[in-house]
Amino acid sequence: MILEFMRDDHRACDHFYSEAENALAAKKTEEAKELFELFYRATNHHFDMEERELFLTFEKRTGMMGGPTQMMRYEHQQLRSQLESMRLALLENRTDDFFGIGESMMIMLQQHNMKEEQMLYPMIDRTLGDDGALMIQTLKDMEK
Amino acid sequence: MYNGLSLDQAPPISVVLRFFFTVPVFGILLALIVFFYPHDVLTPTHPISLAAIHVMFLGIITMSMFGALFQMQSVLGGRPIPSVLGNAFLIHLFLVIGVLSLSGAFVLGTPELFIIASVFLGGSILYVATLILPLLFVGTPHDTLRGMRLALIALSLTAILGIVMASEYANLSFSAFHAVIRSVHYSLGLVGWIAILIIAVAFQVVEMFYVSTPYSPWCKRNAFKVIAVSLFLKIIWLFTTLPYVWVFDLVIGALLIGFVTTTAKRLKMRKRRVSDVSIWFWSSGIILLSLAVVAHMVSLSNGYPQSQSISLIAFGLFALAVILGMMGKIVPFLVWFHLNSAGYMDTPLMSNIIPQSRAKGVFTLFILTSFTSIVGVFYIEFFALSALIGAAMFTLLLINLIKAYKLYRYTLSHGKRFEQI
Repeated sequence: MILEFMRDDHRACDHFYSEAENALAAKKTEEAKELFELFYRATNHHFDMEERELFLTFEKRTGMMGGPTQMMRYEHQQLRSQLESMRLALLENRTDDFFGIGESMMIMLQQHNMKEEQMLYPMIDRTLGDDGALMIQTLKDMEK
Repeated sequence: MYNGLSLDQAPPISVVLRFFFTVPVFGILLALIVFFYPHDVLTPTHPISLAAIHVMFLGIITMSMFGALFQMQSVLGGRPIPSVLGNAFLIHLFLVIGVLSLSGAFVLGTPELFIIASVFLGGSILYVATLILPLLFVGTPHDTLRGMRLALIALSLTAILGIVMASEYANLSFSAFHAVIRSVHYSLGLVGWIAILIIAVAFQVVEMFYVSTPYSPWCKRNAFKVIAVSLFLKIIWLFTTLPYVWVFDLVIGALLIGFVTTTAKRLKMRKRRVSDVSIWFWSSGIILLSLAVVAHMVSLSNGYPQSQSISLIAFGLFALAVILGMMGKIVPFLVWFHLNSAGYMDTPLMSNIIPQSRAKGVFTLFILTSFTSIVGVFYIEFFALSALIGAAMFTLLLINLIKAYKLYRYTLSHGKRFEQI
């Protein structure tokens, strides 16, 4: 099921972020930078999986081009900008700014995840039906 | 089938803030009532006590929950509320008039005020239910959505019973079922509306915001069923005067303790170790809920009015703790979100919208208010003192909200947007 696969990926991204935040709170700046990089890459990869495969297939099958997937793309754009700001703050050792941006990014990301897990992924599951397994394999094969 | 997410889902900031701004105003009103009439507030069924209870549970708690519902509906329900500005304006106005007239009716004993309160409070609550409930039945159901539905149904029934009792007060003619209706009104309002909504929100918020292990699927699936069935059977037992009605209170109490335990475990084992004020509020809230349940069990066994008072006060404080914790996150987020989405380059960070020092100030005053109000059940001077500290807490909350909103307005009028460069 797409829902389970993508939800697990959300949780994996959350885990990386918590680890980065915890490391920075413990003043382990270099470790925090490495962990944040993992979060940054994992989250961007997650967005890519959706935008390059999942959403396109959903849109082709349903004909819904300007609906929920468009909304999610718009939120990805906002979140990507947040991630860049955090990355820069961390690079320039602006710890307070990192935590400050991180707070809003995290709420926004969680709200975004909620919408996907509770509405969009179940819709995609219903649309793909038995082709769901094939889609999961395609997503797994996407290079990180 | 695919109706759902749209680009303009988030309601305007004024929709949520009008409810939140009213909360500290009613908080200060409650503090005044407690300060000037501490003895009467602690006397069960005294008109001043009833006025204070309704200011607390409607003016503060329900007011904030309505504000939060307007925001949550777009995220959790997936469909925006239609004509959200106008509907929020009317619901808020009706609720304010309703709470003021009901409190006034209890204090002054004026029959006309009970009628006005019935019209406006009933109108506000049933308006919310008819507006939001249908939206919660569309799309893919999930546990939080089920909890929200149940909470709104319980609130509607609470309001209907409230209207029945208000008409009895207005006519000074009480039916044989008055005491039973009052018990059902309390149970549905406190457990059915407040506890269920908080549990439903906790199922989402605790897991996602603090990155903790998920609540068990059994717990999520069955918690609302157990409460709904227990409340339903308790109502039947009460109306048919069957014995052992306390068994249902025991079941609900056990479930609430289960919720407290499992939430405490998740907060303790959360992956995000960075501590913030909202976690302190959640932790205080679950301690207060445990106290409320224990005190209620004690009151069932010995019938002491003090146990009953402690239970009610602790329950109100539990809800307030969760509300204050969430408000401290929602308000800065909304200010940030609306400015950022509008493309303002100098959008302030959340931590600069309500600084940690002032957020911690609200928390410290909350803890002092909680302690003095509970000790105040035994030593009345402490109860009056709790009113002073509570007033300071709500004043600081109001300052936080006003400053956040002023910063929002300032950035709107002075900030640079990306499209302007």
